[in-house]
Amino acid sequence: MIRVLAAITALIVAAPALATQIYNPNTRTWVDYDPRQAARYYQMHGSVPKEFRRQVVRFRTAEKPGTIIIDGDKHFLYLVQEDFTAIRYGIGVGRDGFGWAGIVEVGRKAEWPRWTPPAEMVARDPEAAKWANGMPGGPENPLGARALYLYEDGRDTIYRIHGTHQPWSIGLDISSGCIRMNNDDVIDLYNRVQPGAKVIVLMSGAALYRGV
Amino acid sequence: MRISVLATALVGLAAAPAVSHAATVVIGVPGWPSAQVTAHLIGQVMEAELGVEARLRPIGTTELVGAIDRGEIDIHPELWLPNLETQVAALSGPDGTLTLAPTQVTASQNICTTRDTVELTGLTEVAQLADPTMALWFDTDGDGRGEIWIGDFEWSSTPIERARARSYGYDETMMLLTMEEDVAMAGLDVAMATGRPMVFYCYAPHYKFELHDVVKLEEPPHDPSAWSVLTPEEDPAWLSKAQAAMAWPASTYQLAYATDLAQTAPNVAAFLNKVTIDAETAQAMSYAIDVERRDPADVAAEWIAANADKISEWVQ
Repeated sequence: MIRVLAAITALIVAAPALATQIYNPNTRTWVDYDPRQAARYYQMHGSVPKEFRRQVVRFRTAEKPGTIIIDGDKHFLYLVQEDFTAIRYGIGVGRDGFGWAGIVEVGRKAEWPRWTPPAEMVARDPEAAKWANGMPGGPENPLGARALYLYEDGRDTIYRIHGTHQPWSIGLDISSGCIRMNNDDVIDLYNRVQPGAKVIVLMSGAALYRGV
Repeated sequence: MRISVLATALVGLAAAPAVSHAATVVIGVPGWPSAQVTAHLIGQVMEAELGVEARLRPIGTTELVGAIDRGEIDIHPELWLPNLETQVAALSGPDGTLTLAPTQVTASQNICTTRDTVELTGLTEVAQLADPTMALWFDTDGDGRGEIWIGDFEWSSTPIERARARSYGYDETMMLLTMEEDVAMAGLDVAMATGRPMVFYCYAPHYKFELHDVVKLEEPPHDPSAWSVLTPEEDPAWLSKAQAAMAWPASTYQLAYATDLAQTAPNVAAFLNKVTIDAETAQAMSYAIDVERRDPADVAAEWIAANADKISEWVQ
């Protein structure tokens, strides 16, 4: 365990860009995991790498079951369970990070949510401009199958945990903000989480890109 | 200013005599676990044994001292020294509005890390954080500097930790993060689950020492003749003048209360002067409430039932 971590950190120190890395069991090395490699991996295996797949992990915490903890650095979302365990999901985060950390809550949930691109995206992206007035929910919608809307003090933060129509992108810092999960995972999370659930965004990685 | 406030208070007391003040005692509740435990415990004992209604009011610790001075809150369950020594010096004393209960509990304040971090990085001393190579182990956002949580926004320790970081020089190599404790503790949970290096301000008693394998970093012993930390109120240039590259002074905490309780509710003041909740008890109760998720009222009631002799001494 410690040896593996030493390998990760040595690579991180050598590569200040802090790209996502995954373990290649064939070469027994940690390798960068960029969009090209991610798409190829998904094409070959039909899923994201093992560490980003949904799994129950040991997780000692004082947070109560039902709390969500988001680690934008390691690209994991934890849903706290009983008996010091958590369900860990792989996530993708925005290219520009979130720029914030702290405590929010699930304000509401939606199935196959409608997506309205932000004005700046409409201005720069002709594809987004086609949907300036909103894109109905569906398989091509970038919000995917479900969305959990994050609120602070009763107000919408504009951040969401949502699905994706690009499942290979889990584990990466690409696209616009928010927290992406593959559709199976976001449906699983949606079914387990109730409005009012506490959501903690850690002070690490993507949360810090614009400073806390 | 103080005279006019007192005059107003006296008018208020004359119009509504002591009974209303004594009937409801307001306990401030700073946002950390052991203070919450103590607040619940003394509140329950006062209600059961002294016939007063105890109302708990969440509030930051520095603000709480001011609220006691203004007569808005009666009790601070856990006032830490030396963190608030400037405010205590100004408000306590013969004519002061703040009285410290005599029992001091020994506490500690340090920079902590995880056992995994020690084994992975070789970090054992606070001074090592000023080394840019060491700091890189704690960099998660790729800016070439590490990250360290130095406390909650409202804690009295946070500006002192900022001064210590500057004195050691790791304010240059590390980003100093202030944030609610729940976020930092969830970060510790994740660091433990993934083996990621982490370094952070820590204090004891606290449930995290039972939940995780947490290691206190070593520092030069505290030297009162070399230590100098002013408050921003005392000197706008407090940060640049700070000299604090050493261990904290011996830290203690104690109950504190509004001096006028001695007149308006002497039984409450006498009780507060006798209460002793040691660090081990506070930490064990905090673990029961914060980690095992037991109801604070149940935990306090259980402790009260198991310590009837002690309680009867306190309320005599």
